[in-house]
Amino acid sequence: MAEDLNWAIGGEAGDGIDSTGKIFAQALSRAGRHVFTSKDFASRIRGGYTAYKIRTSVNEVQSVVDRLDILVALTQRTIDENLDELHEGSAIIYDGERSWDADIPEETKGIDVPLKSLAEDAGGAIMRNIVALGAACEITGFDVEYLDESLEKRFGGKGTQIVENNKEAARLGQEYVQENYDVGDLGYDLETTDNDYVLLNGNEAIGMGAIAAGCRFYAGYPITPATSIMEYLTGRIEDYGGHVVQAEDELSAINMSLGAARAGARSMTATSGAGIDLMTETFGLVATSETPLVIADVQRSGPSTGMPTKQEQGDLNMALYGGHGEVPRFVVAPTSITECFWKTVEAFNLAEKYQTPVFLVSDLALSVTEQTFPPEAFDMDAVEIDRGKLVDDDEVEEWLDGQGRFRAHAATEDGVSPRAIPGMTDGAHMSTGLEHDELGRRTEEQEIRVQQVDKRNRKVETAKDEETWDYREFGDENADNLVISWGSNEGALVEALEYLEDEGVDVRVISVPYIFPRPDLTDEIEAAEETIVVECNATGQFADVLEHDVLTRVKRINKYTGVRFKADELAEEITTKLAEEVPAQ
Amino acid sequence: MSSDVRFTDFKSDKQPTWCPGCGDFGTMNGMMKALAETGNDPDNTFVVAGIGCSGKIGTYMHSYALHGVHGRALPVGQGVKMSRPDIEVMVAGGDGDGYSIGAGHFVHAVRRNVDMTYVVMDNRIYGLTKGQASPTSRSDFETSTTPEGPKQPPVNPLALALASGASFIAQSFASDALRHQEIVQKAIEHDGFGFVNVFSPCVTFNDVDTYDYFRDSLVDLQEDEDHDPNDYEAAKEVILDGEKEYQGVMYQDENSVPYHEQHGVTENMSEIPDGAPEDAMDLVREFY
Repeated sequence: MAEDLNWAIGGEAGDGIDSTGKIFAQALSRAGRHVFTSKDFASRIRGGYTAYKIRTSVNEVQSVVDRLDILVALTQRTIDENLDELHEGSAIIYDGERSWDADIPEETKGIDVPLKSLAEDAGGAIMRNIVALGAACEITGFDVEYLDESLEKRFGGKGTQIVENNKEAARLGQEYVQENYDVGDLGYDLETTDNDYVLLNGNEAIGMGAIAAGCRFYAGYPITPATSIMEYLTGRIEDYGGHVVQAEDELSAINMSLGAARAGARSMTATSGAGIDLMTETFGLVATSETPLVIADVQRSGPSTGMPTKQEQGDLNMALYGGHGEVPRFVVAPTSITECFWKTVEAFNLAEKYQTPVFLVSDLALSVTEQTFPPEAFDMDAVEIDRGKLVDDDEVEEWLDGQGRFRAHAATEDGVSPRAIPGMTDGAHMSTGLEHDELGRRTEEQEIRVQQVDKRNRKVETAKDEETWDYREFGDENADNLVISWGSNEGALVEALEYLEDEGVDVRVISVPYIFPRPDLTDEIEAAEETIVVECNATGQFADVLEHDVLTRVKRINKYTGVRFKADELAEEITTKLAEEVPAQ
Repeated sequence: MSSDVRFTDFKSDKQPTWCPGCGDFGTMNGMMKALAETGNDPDNTFVVAGIGCSGKIGTYMHSYALHGVHGRALPVGQGVKMSRPDIEVMVAGGDGDGYSIGAGHFVHAVRRNVDMTYVVMDNRIYGLTKGQASPTSRSDFETSTTPEGPKQPPVNPLALALASGASFIAQSFASDALRHQEIVQKAIEHDGFGFVNVFSPCVTFNDVDTYDYFRDSLVDLQEDEDHDPNDYEAAKEVILDGEKEYQGVMYQDENSVPYHEQHGVTENMSEIPDGAPEDAMDLVREFY
C-alpha cells in the first residue's frame, strides 16, 4: 500500500474551503507528490458543511479511502461529519479562540492554533485558512516554502503585498505549531520528489480535450456539475477562434450546438440531471439529420432535482435509450480523468466520421476530483483529427444527382453519406427531423423509409467493425473472480485490488469505457466463476445490459448514497459479495 | 456571390402542399426575392424552419436548410450564424412555433441581436393540426379546443420584441407582395436581429383574420403615417396601439451592434487544423 496521507479542510460554504484545499493540493503536486482530491459540498452558497479532501502519496493515488489523518476543522460539524474516518494518530487543527467549544475526539490530537489572530498579525483575518495550511505543513513535515508557488498562482493577480501577506500567514501557522506542540510522535513526514505533475479534474480534461479536438462552438446552460466544462472553455476557446454561448435553457443549448455543427463547426454541449431530459427532445433530430454532435452528460444524483451535488451513475439507460423512436447513437463513458480528455477527442472523431450524436457520459465524481498526472498523459501530438466524409468543393460534384442536387443522405454501403457545409458551391441541401429521401426531402414512401432507417443504423454497424471498442483491464487476468465497472469507479477498484491481494483474494477488473457499442464480454464472464458488476446506482443498469448480452446472471454492487466508492470500502464489499450465493440463472 | 442570382434559384422542385390561397405562398416568395435582391445565393444561405404549415418552407426553398424541432428554429439559426458569420441566416416559422412553444427562445434571440432574419408567418391559428387556438388568436376566437374562445388576450409579438430589446421590428402582409419583400429586405440588411411578423392568412381555418380583414384594416406606416422607424417613442406608440394594426418597419435601432461584433466572433469555425492546435501543450502546462 502506498504511504499515503489523507488531509482535509472543512467548514461552511463561503469559508474559502475549496480554494484553500486547492492551494495545498497544488503545493503537494509541485513538490512532486501525487494528489487525489475530493469534495463534500452542498447546493448552497453559504452555510452548511463543505469539505475538500486530499489524498497524497509519492505513488499514484486514484481513490479516496475511509481514513483521515489531518483535519483542519473550521466548525464542529466538520469534526462530527468525519468521526468515522478519524483514528488514533489523527491531528485536528482548530482555532480555540473562536466561539465554539471544540469537541476533539479523545484518541485524536487536537492542535489548537489561533488561526484568526495569527492571520490578523499577517495582515488580515481572511488569511486564517492559510495559517492553518502552515500549521498542516509543520505537522506533516512538509516544507512551508512549497506553499509559496501556489500562493503566488492564487493571489498573484491581487498584487505582491497580498502574496507576501499570505506567505507570512503560512509561516506564522507553521512556527506556532513548531513552538507549541510536539508533533513528531504523529510520525508524518512527507517525502518530496523531482517529478513534474499537472493537477486537474475531469471537467477540465473534457474542456481541454474539446479544444485539442478542434471544438469551436459550445452552447450550454449552467447546471451542477457540468458548468465547469463551460467555465473552462470560456476565456480559452476564443484563443483558437471558438466561442462559448450561455443559452436560455438546455433546449436552446443543444439546438444552438446542432446549428453550429450543421454549419461545419466541431460543436458540443454539456449538461446534467434535468438538463439532459430537456435535451432529449433533440436527440432524434441530431440522429435523423445526421449531424455530428457531442453531448456530454456529467451525471449527478437523480431523479428530478435529486441530490444535485452528489455522485450517481443513474443515466446509463437514458443515454442508451433516451428519445422517442429508435435513435442511433454512440455512448462513451470515460473511466478516469485522463480518459475524460482522450474520450472527448475520440467523441469528436466518432461524431464526424459517422455523423451521429455521441454521448459522452461522465459523472460528478470525475468532474470535481482533481488528480495529478505527468503532463505527457495529455500528449497533444498524439491527438488525431478525422473529419470523416466532409467533402471539399471538388468532391461535391461527385455526389450530385442527375439534376445537380446534393445527396446529403445518400444511402451508401457503409451508411455514411457525404457531408457538405454551407458555403460549398452546389452543396445546398435541406436536412430534417422528418423522414426524408437522399436529398433530405420529406417522404413517407415505405421503401425510402426503410432505406434511410437502415442506412442510419448501418453507420453503427460500420463503426462496430471499424473502431476499437475495447476495455481496460487490471488485476489478475486469470483470476476466477471478475469485477466489471463503468465510469469513475475504476480508480477505487484498482486500489481495492491491493487490499484484496492482502487478503488473498484474486480479482480481474474490467473497466468499460464504451457503453454503446460496447465490447462483447461473453468469454470473459463465462471464463469467470463469479462476476460482480459495480456501479453507482440502485438498480444496476449496466449489470442489466451485460446480463442481456451474455444471457447469464451477475452479482451486483450498487451504491446510491450520493458518495463515490472508496477503495477500502469496495474491497470489503467485493469480499462479502463473493461469499454470497450465485444468483439463480 | 454571383450577381445573376434569380429568386427562382431559391425555389426547390418540391411543389408546396399548402392550401390554395394560403398566405405562406406570398410570404415565401417575398423571402426568396429579398434574399436574391440582397445578393445572396442558395450556397451561402441557411434557412431554418420551424414546425407547422410554415415549417414546410425549408422543403420548398432551395438553400442549406434545417427543419428541426418544434419551437427551436431560432436556437439552430443562432448556432449557424455564430459559428459562420459568413453565411446568411434566415429563420422562418409560425406563430405557434415562435410565440408559444418557442416564446422563450424568441425573447433571448431578440436580446442577443445575432445578425440574422426571423420571419414569422402569423395566421393566428394552428393550421396543420386542423384549427386550434394559437397564441395570437383573438380572445373570442372559437376553435375546436376553445369552443368559447381562448378567453385570454393574444400575445403582441411586436411588443414582446420591443420589451426584449429588439433592434429591428417590422410587420408585413403576405398579400402586399412588394411591401412585404421590401420589409424583409430591410430586415436582411439590418445589422442585427431583423424580426418581421407577417400576416399570412389561413384560408381554411381562420375566418376572422382573413385577407379581406387585413386589406381593409391594415395601416401602412410609411405610406399613410410618415412613421420614423428610428424614433423609439413613435415605435412604442404604434406597437402598443390597441386599435389599429400596421405594416411597415416599426422600429430600427440605428446604433445596433450585432452579436458577432459585441463578442468578437468573426471566424469561420468550420476550419480547424489536422491535429491539436500548435500551442496546445500550453493548456496542459496551465495545470502545473
